[in-house]
Amino acid sequence: MMFLDTLPRFLPARSNYLILSRCKHVQAARYKRSIKGNKPLTYEMAGPPHTIAHIKGWNSWNTCNMLDGLRPAETAIDDEFIRRFMTGTWHDLIASEIIIKRQHDIIRIAAITVQKISVTKVYFLIGYTEELLSYWLQCPIKLELQTVEDRTAVVFKYI
Amino acid sequence: MSALQTTLRRTTAVLMPIGYYPARVWCSTRAAPTDGKFRVLDLKKKSFVPHAKKKYIKTITLPPRALSMPVDQEWSNVWPGPRTFHPATVPLALRQGYDPKRASPGKYGNAELMKIPNFLHITPPAVKKHCSALKQFCTEWPKGLETDEDCDRHFPMTTITTDYCHSSPTIKDPKSRIVTIKIKLSTLNLDKHARDKMIRLVGDRYDEESDILTIVTDRCPTRKQNYDYGVYVLTALYHESNTFEEWERQKQEADMEHYIWENNPSKKAYVTLTRWPEKVSDDDVKSHSIDEDTVGQKYKEAVTELLNNGEDTYTLNKYREAALAVLLPQTIQA
Repeated sequence: MMFLDTLPRFLPARSNYLILSRCKHVQAARYKRSIKGNKPLTYEMAGPPHTIAHIKGWNSWNTCNMLDGLRPAETAIDDEFIRRFMTGTWHDLIASEIIIKRQHDIIRIAAITVQKISVTKVYFLIGYTEELLSYWLQCPIKLELQTVEDRTAVVFKYI
Repeated sequence: MSALQTTLRRTTAVLMPIGYYPARVWCSTRAAPTDGKFRVLDLKKKSFVPHAKKKYIKTITLPPRALSMPVDQEWSNVWPGPRTFHPATVPLALRQGYDPKRASPGKYGNAELMKIPNFLHITPPAVKKHCSALKQFCTEWPKGLETDEDCDRHFPMTTITTDYCHSSPTIKDPKSRIVTIKIKLSTLNLDKHARDKMIRLVGDRYDEESDILTIVTDRCPTRKQNYDYGVYVLTALYHESNTFEEWERQKQEADMEHYIWENNPSKKAYVTLTRWPEKVSDDDVKSHSIDEDTVGQKYKEAVTELLNNGEDTYTLNKYREAALAVLLPQTIQA
């Protein structure tokens, strides 16, 4: 809103309408309503980005983006890599966003998975993910999962 | 074709071994269908086989651990270290999230609870356990350092360095090389001249209110080098302030950092007034002592304060009182 307040100083009056009307069409990280109104959304998906730190939390927790933080770019790339690796390795099993929390050099990866595969396979995948990621990122990785029976358990609302 | 012949033929067809298909089928309309499906003429041989959706066998899971926990259990054994929240382990009816129409989402399948860093591993009993385990490595507090004043007297110099903990794999932070050395100037054993010179040399680094000299060094790449450099600077400053250069004799009244009553015409005026009507020389003014003279001390204090701290209601009032006491002693006494 600060941006909108300062705009009229730079622009002729007529352009304000145009800009304000464009503001209604912001669509990043907002989900489109389905015709039947049966599109399931998790709690995280239900809140648009401006509700972060108000009604929902961050998906990445680290100190890199604080003032004088180290390695902000590398951390962002690593997080994206971890997210892609997790969704690929745990194919069709992850029912929530992947939460990456960093404490010193430990990376804790948390997610909610669906109880679709046998427990043996889950144990294998946990070990596989931890081993490979810690080899690539050169730091201890901890996978902390929660399982739900099916995806409806994490649905917050249908739109 | 007679009825007998027909029977014979049928018998032969029935008696045929399994897997043997005759070249001719005599009674195609009566052939039993192989499966229950209606057969379709498939000229292009593109038979579509719809495969059933993969069925997942439901995983057998135990009931949540929180349900079978005894009330008097040791919580630090259940949750020994930092860990992401797990609803089946934590026996608390937690809810997290905002829902304008319903109650907040519960703890099962709630990613919000997993995001928040929790302190379930440092409950007060766990902290107590940690402390009791660490107690054997502690040594006694040294005798004679009971109060802060004792510490300041025995260890007048404070060195401040900072270690940084980041949530990233690197442990190196360029800011950790900065070393701050703090010392009270009164502990340095300086005379009046040396102290004045030191304050002039260090400039902004001296805080007049707390009498503390602060030296911050960050120009060397490592902390050790910076510390050594800071100590070197302090030593050099100390010895430089204690030397008296020839040109320092040229210090005039205008170069003084404070107003000093003894060096100024105000004292001469005061001495002339008190010793009236005899004539006073410069030597008389110098040798005149006001240690016994409370009026003179008050006057000196008022003038010094007025000129050093600036004019305000308080200093001006004080000066008025002091001047009246000097000039009209009988009115003040009355």
